[in-house]
Amino acid sequence: MASNRDWTWFYRLGSPRWFYETTGRWLPWLWALTLVLLVAGLVWGLGYAPQDAKQGNSFRIIYLHVPVSFLALAGYYLMAIAGAIGLIWKMKLSYMVMKSAAPIGAVLTFLALFTGAVWGKPTWGTYWVWDARITSMLILLFLYLGVLALQYAFHSQEAGNKASAILALVGTVNIPIIYKSVDWWYTLHQPATIKLTSAPSMHIDMFQPLLVMIVALYSFYALALILFIRAEILQRERKAAWVCDLALRADQGSAGEDKE
Amino acid sequence: MKFQFDSVQQMLEMAGHGQYVWTAVLVTLLMMAWLLVRPLQVHRAHLKTIAQQLRREQRRRITQEDNQ
Repeated sequence: MASNRDWTWFYRLGSPRWFYETTGRWLPWLWALTLVLLVAGLVWGLGYAPQDAKQGNSFRIIYLHVPVSFLALAGYYLMAIAGAIGLIWKMKLSYMVMKSAAPIGAVLTFLALFTGAVWGKPTWGTYWVWDARITSMLILLFLYLGVLALQYAFHSQEAGNKASAILALVGTVNIPIIYKSVDWWYTLHQPATIKLTSAPSMHIDMFQPLLVMIVALYSFYALALILFIRAEILQRERKAAWVCDLALRADQGSAGEDKE
Repeated sequence: MKFQFDSVQQMLEMAGHGQYVWTAVLVTLLMMAWLLVRPLQVHRAHLKTIAQQLRREQRRRITQEDNQ
């Protein structure tokens, strides 16, 4: 008896309705947190952090480049784990998480490459090189796009989910390659600035705003993911009574506004 | 902690690096904004479609009952 009850949280977590209603309460706080952190981090990094002795002001791109790259990678783990949970436990919600993580990851990976290229021009003298880190990030972008494309490649949602999840899982091979690429092939991209196991290799005045921006991007990621998942829930659960209720109430609300 | 630039002009130029830094900032913020706006648009569109569908079914049911 007791063991049955212990697992209810797990099933509740898999309930789209429970997720939709709970995150609805979190959203205002998450919006506020994200915007405050982003503004604070950007003003601090772009205006107050000291110039880099060698790179001058171009180093300020680090306040975008490193946080978006972090989340591009962390987002891939999340997507692959969600896919695995979907395959193993056939949890509806986890496939929605997987599908929602794909466009966000693709945009963040693109931004990592883009900000890297714009930073590369004044620093290395070129926008693009086939360096190990950059190439493996490009592969990451294709993996995200592949997962997204597979979602629409099948007539049945079920088949699309499974194919996406398998691609996402196979693609995790690329993640340690990306992390290690700067150590294995010492081509052009510099090694990591921040490691969990040692002190950062940058001055504290430069490091603090970077930390704020990283936290800001985590918060932004959570917000974007929740928004995508909520839209996906409405689409996939459109036959459910609670969604119909919600739609009618929203419709009446907007009709009332039109009249006034 | 002190502000690194004396004027807006100086901050825009960033001693020759302004074009790179501000391009990166602008593109990043625009694409991040898209990641927040897009799901909200889709969310609203879904609600609208579902409500329309329900009304259409309701109307059909009423006319069927009238015919009988």
